[in-house]
Amino acid sequence: MIRLIASNAILVALVVTALGAILTPVAILRGRRDWLSFSFAAVYTNFALVTVSTLALVWGLVSHDFSISYVAQVGSRATPTFYTIISLWGALEGSIVFWAWVLGMYAAAVVWFNRKREGNLVPYAAMALLLVALFFHILLLGPANPFQAVFPVPFDGPGPNPLLQNHILMGVHPPLLYLGYVGMTVPFAFAVGAMLSGEVASDDWIRLTRRWTLVAWGFLTAAIIAGMWWSYEVLGWGGYWAWDPVENASFIPWLTCTAYLHSVMVQERRGMLKLWNLNLMVGTFVLTILGTFLTRSGIISSVHAFTQGTIGYYFLGFIAVVLLSTLILVAGNSDKLGSEGKLDAPLSRETAFLLQNMFFTVFMFTVLIGTLFPLVAELVRGVKVSVGTPFFNKMSIPLMVALLFLMGVGPVLPWRKGAGPELKGKLTAGVVLGLLFGVVGLVMGARNAYAVLSFTFAGFALGANVGEFVRGANARVRAHGESWLVALSRLVAGNRRRFGGYVAHIGVVLVALGVTASGTFKKEQEATLTPGQSMTVSGHTVRFKNAWLREEKQRQVVGATMEIMDGTRVSATVEPRMNYYPTSQQPVPTPQVKSTWSGDIYLNLMAFKQDGSNVTVKVIWEPLVPWIWFGGFVICFGAILGILPTRREAAVASAPAGGTP
Amino acid sequence: MIITRSWKRTALSLAAIGALAGALGAQAPALPAAPKNAPQDSGALRVQVQGTLTDAQKNDAGLEALTKSVASELRCPVCQGLSIQDSPSELSQQMRTVVKEQLAAGKSQQEVKDYFISKYGEWILLEPQAHGFNLLIYALPVFLVLGGAVFVVFIVKRWTAAPATAGASVPTADDTE
Repeated sequence: MIRLIASNAILVALVVTALGAILTPVAILRGRRDWLSFSFAAVYTNFALVTVSTLALVWGLVSHDFSISYVAQVGSRATPTFYTIISLWGALEGSIVFWAWVLGMYAAAVVWFNRKREGNLVPYAAMALLLVALFFHILLLGPANPFQAVFPVPFDGPGPNPLLQNHILMGVHPPLLYLGYVGMTVPFAFAVGAMLSGEVASDDWIRLTRRWTLVAWGFLTAAIIAGMWWSYEVLGWGGYWAWDPVENASFIPWLTCTAYLHSVMVQERRGMLKLWNLNLMVGTFVLTILGTFLTRSGIISSVHAFTQGTIGYYFLGFIAVVLLSTLILVAGNSDKLGSEGKLDAPLSRETAFLLQNMFFTVFMFTVLIGTLFPLVAELVRGVKVSVGTPFFNKMSIPLMVALLFLMGVGPVLPWRKGAGPELKGKLTAGVVLGLLFGVVGLVMGARNAYAVLSFTFAGFALGANVGEFVRGANARVRAHGESWLVALSRLVAGNRRRFGGYVAHIGVVLVALGVTASGTFKKEQEATLTPGQSMTVSGHTVRFKNAWLREEKQRQVVGATMEIMDGTRVSATVEPRMNYYPTSQQPVPTPQVKSTWSGDIYLNLMAFKQDGSNVTVKVIWEPLVPWIWFGGFVICFGAILGILPTRREAAVASAPAGGTP
Repeated sequence: MIITRSWKRTALSLAAIGALAGALGAQAPALPAAPKNAPQDSGALRVQVQGTLTDAQKNDAGLEALTKSVASELRCPVCQGLSIQDSPSELSQQMRTVVKEQLAAGKSQQEVKDYFISKYGEWILLEPQAHGFNLLIYALPVFLVLGGAVFVVFIVKRWTAAPATAGASVPTADDTE
């Protein structure tokens, strides 16, 4: 019953999206604008139908309806309800259902907020959204159908992949990732709409989607950080980034989108880089689909590539169609994409943005080439090769260091005109902080040139970005006689977008410091301890108390109780564990992390004597790693600041012509 | 003499593991070491392997650093893209011991890597060796940076060449920074 409701809802949604998409050009070309309300209605109806289908699948999971193929594949009566619900995105079919739902939601919301706008931009954007939705419905009725009948109905199922039911972050990272990934469809659809309607000459599509792009970028950023956190907390090796193909798949569109967020400012202010921005946005969307293809086709073996099948061909076909049709559209509109503005001097903010875009684009291609190279090498040479951390670090660290530097230079350079004598004053704080951070890094024992440069430029960028807040607030104090804090809050409130960007920069500095420090000063040691014995890593002493075994409903847990010592006093107790799931041959490591402001003590249980007489533990001192997670929050806070409407925009929106949410 | 013999045994068992891993292919990483369905003693195997190093060698910081450097470039065959230095898996720990033993026996870093390549193929290296077709991934990013830099210079020259017009830019309040 549930199966039939869910399955038929998708079938109807497929018909509705197809009809809605066809209706749009017919209505516009025949001059029947009244028909367009039907294609908007198709967007809303699609959302309703996909919602029904998604809820039905969740209900099927929760009620253990094993007659549904997806439930039989990932469900299990022993799995706790929370992990049963989140197994919606634990395997291919469910995650496509979830994707279709998020897409339906974005499409309905963006069409609703812009429904009253004159012109053909929004109808064509709605059409593009419907066409993308149509592709996912085809997947759901074809190679990724979660609603197939299972007969005879099994009494129980295997449960989700153990790695996916071992940590609460699995309920956080995937939805964030989908909200980010799928959100990139909105600016893409508006770019297509702008080209189809000929409105690409005005920058309206950019203004209408500015906030949507930032929302998607914020979610994608949060998803990447949450994914790093999950891998740190679950995989047990004490790292957070392994340049795994699927990590790269989420990072690649983030790079192009971040480039876009910066270069789009050049277009908005100066009317330059129009063609480039269009390509960046289309590229970002295509890279999200490519990322899904890499993740879900199983073409590159990886920790996330849990499934394999014929679905790869559908994705490749879709990518080809998108690339070809946008190429034709861009070519047809190229006359409208010329540059309007000019520069007075080369050393201006525009140039900084250009360089930033160049480095981000090269970064993107480097990661993409490295990720795809094993496939290419196998095709060309017939030999399997690996491209992993040593390669990616070697190639990307110089780029990251250059970008850190630009992050400090960009905000202090003026638009259009060359930098004047005031530049020196603006750079002082950054230079001082940069030198300080560099020297501290050296004193702490950093000897790698890139590590020292990274500390230096992180300090430089911090000084430059914080300096913008300080100078702005000081100016207000002088001009309006406000107290400093009032001046600061009014300064930020008056231009949330600009200062949101600087907040995000400060978050990036925190992440950079965490990554550089943990990469440079990380210390680890492994030892076999008997009860009462202790070991010391980088000045942090842990003592083994006892080992224990616990039976849980869905798993067996072996743990070691470890005491973190402060002198002779026990300052904290942690319990690194190994979880044994019946469906997995290997135990799932469950390391424990004790965080302090200066770093984490990371404990992982490696082995144990069955009688509990000794355990082997790995203890890692991870300097500044908590700063990475905190920096992630700061970046997202910056994004939220940029999403909130500013006073100027609120005034425009209340004017009759405005259609912006 | 004892050292050599047990070294050979380790090598043989590793070769067997390697062949097994190769047969299973990179796509299906199953644990080639003794499968464990239930909690059990997992220390026994490791003790056996570690027996060939003297106490002095075990605590030699220089040897440790060399081992770390080689181990960071070798891929753990049963993990997802982790090096045997990072991986907590049992096979990685055994492989790391083999690396250390071979270095202690006087092999160069490259010789140790070659040994693992002969067992597992080029795939075992986390970074492709920079020759032949593989040079492509090292050269492409460099070309991209150079090409990108030339392009940026070209664009900025074009932007600044023509006389500046007020054009599209209407300076607003926050332009004056």
